Amino acid sequence: MEFVNNAVSGLLLGGLYAVAALGLSIVFGTMKLVNLAHGQLLILGAYLTSMLIGLFGGGDPLLVGVAAAVLLAVLVYPLQRYIITPVMAQGEEPPMTVTFGISVVITTLLIIFFTSSPLTSWTADYATKEWEVFGVRIRVIYLIATVVALIFILALMWILKRTAFGRQVRAASIDAEAAGLVGIDVKKTYARVMSMSAFVAAIAGVLIALSFSVAPTTGTGWLLRAFTVVVIGGLGSLPGTLFGGFIVGLVEAAGAAWVGPQYRDVIVFGVLVVILLVRPNGLFAKVAKA
Amino acid sequence: MSNRIKSLLRYGIPVVIAAVLYFTAQIVDRSQANDFTGLFLLMTLAMAWNLVGGFGGQFSLGHSIFVGVGSYATAVILTTLGWPLIPTMLVAAVMSALIGLLLAYPLLRLRGPYLAVGSLGMAVASYGWMINWNFTKASQAYAVPPAGQISLQETYQFATILLLVAVVSIIALVRSPLGLRLVALRDNEAGAASIGVKRVRTLLPVWALSGLLTGAMGAVYALQSGSLTVDATFNIQFSLDAAIVCVIGGLGTLSGPIIGSFIVYYLRKYSADFQNYALLIEAVFLVVVVRFFPSGIVGLVSKGYKAIVSRRADSSSK
Repeated sequence: MEFVNNAVSGLLLGGLYAVAALGLSIVFGTMKLVNLAHGQLLILGAYLTSMLIGLFGGGDPLLVGVAAAVLLAVLVYPLQRYIITPVMAQGEEPPMTVTFGISVVITTLLIIFFTSSPLTSWTADYATKEWEVFGVRIRVIYLIATVVALIFILALMWILKRTAFGRQVRAASIDAEAAGLVGIDVKKTYARVMSMSAFVAAIAGVLIALSFSVAPTTGTGWLLRAFTVVVIGGLGSLPGTLFGGFIVGLVEAAGAAWVGPQYRDVIVFGVLVVILLVRPNGLFAKVAKA
Repeated sequence: MSNRIKSLLRYGIPVVIAAVLYFTAQIVDRSQANDFTGLFLLMTLAMAWNLVGGFGGQFSLGHSIFVGVGSYATAVILTTLGWPLIPTMLVAAVMSALIGLLLAYPLLRLRGPYLAVGSLGMAVASYGWMINWNFTKASQAYAVPPAGQISLQETYQFATILLLVAVVSIIALVRSPLGLRLVALRDNEAGAASIGVKRVRTLLPVWALSGLLTGAMGAVYALQSGSLTVDATFNIQFSLDAAIVCVIGGLGTLSGPIIGSFIVYYLRKYSADFQNYALLIEAVFLVVVVRFFPSGIVGLVSKGYKAIVSRRADSSSK
């Protein structure tokens, strides 16, 4: 029974990891941009939500989170349009460095405005609740996260496959120059993709804040987890991201149960390195054209 | 100027400067010595990273491993085997170079962002390993034994020698056929391969040298700190610092890491009073440099120099 319990909670934790990694995945999949500020976007989403809750004098975190997500998407748009996109022409390293710079800016601003202690001001009754189904304990918040991950993946796939905007994004990601020639504003498209990623990241941030302790500096840890998920799933593949999340969640649960929780990072990142060596482009690299 | 004189100057100038710096150890006080040690270590780290990240075009986020191996190997060998200091540090550097080979061999299968993520994964996994390894006292501090407790001025001399070795070996490497192959691979892999440049055979020795220099830097860092923790040595910040310094100074140039280190080190030193704002200033500075001066400070200076030269040529031709 303990085994089933571990497996189920690992799998559902993987759902949370998948939501956290989705934004990173779409940004890489369409722009080939490694966004080192993604972890901080997650955390910023949580902080914006707590700010708005304070402003509204209450409210359900997830609902307020939607407003925060819109706010974050708006904030991120000019960053991509006027800082990151111009740098992307210089090759792979400069945009990574810029996004790292942005991540430090966000972290320090959060510390300046909210101090470096964890965010405590808000929670929801479903944050700590557990259901028992056939003797298996399920944390409700993980279940919500997994459902949110599924919804987001389906929505994003629909946007990318079926809408005019999605066609523009795909055209720009296959050949930016040719897309520009047929009249697609690639720079605006990139900025919109980043906004979309920030929107998803903010919601993910709320889910993270509901299940774990969140402080300005915890972003990096989540960035690393998100990376692992995305790389295992194949950078840029949306369904792959979900499977990547499940795999990381399961590996973590198994590692914590058999080897010891303190070796969690060694195991997860060891698996990451091994997978990269066996499949240098990730496990689901073939479907990476989502 | 004949080639012989040129190459004499190329290696002679760093040697003379290093000799002068070496003997200033007699006149600098403790805090100055400590300052310069920090600066030189940052320079060495950045130059070693620049070999792989700048000249090789491989954005490594795993260099913290070399710092950690170099520093811990020094402390552990001094403690358990009781060797004299200099052989210990050499062995520590060689161990780090071997680790470099060991990591590079699989990493070289990866390209672009995958390499960055893969090396980051290795760095985090080694951190996770070290923080639990009782042989090196896990998360507790590992003291450098008395044999390694030397004065700050002597540490400064070590740092000077190390910096000289780094500068000379990197100049030699970059100008060698190997260095040319390295840059050719970075700029056009298919083109380089078509004229017979082997990727792994070219990159492995470069990673080994980068690991050697970074490991030696870790060894001197161990002497400077006197006591090691996994948090301070296997910290990913080392890789990020090296990358920041090189990007600000100028990626893939010889003088870029040196100039970048000056800027970053003194920016940090003088903005330290502003606490949280210090990091903010540094990060904004980094973003501004990358956004507006793509080839770093070195690129900016050489552009300005060329503009002045061409203007002078214009006016003289009129």
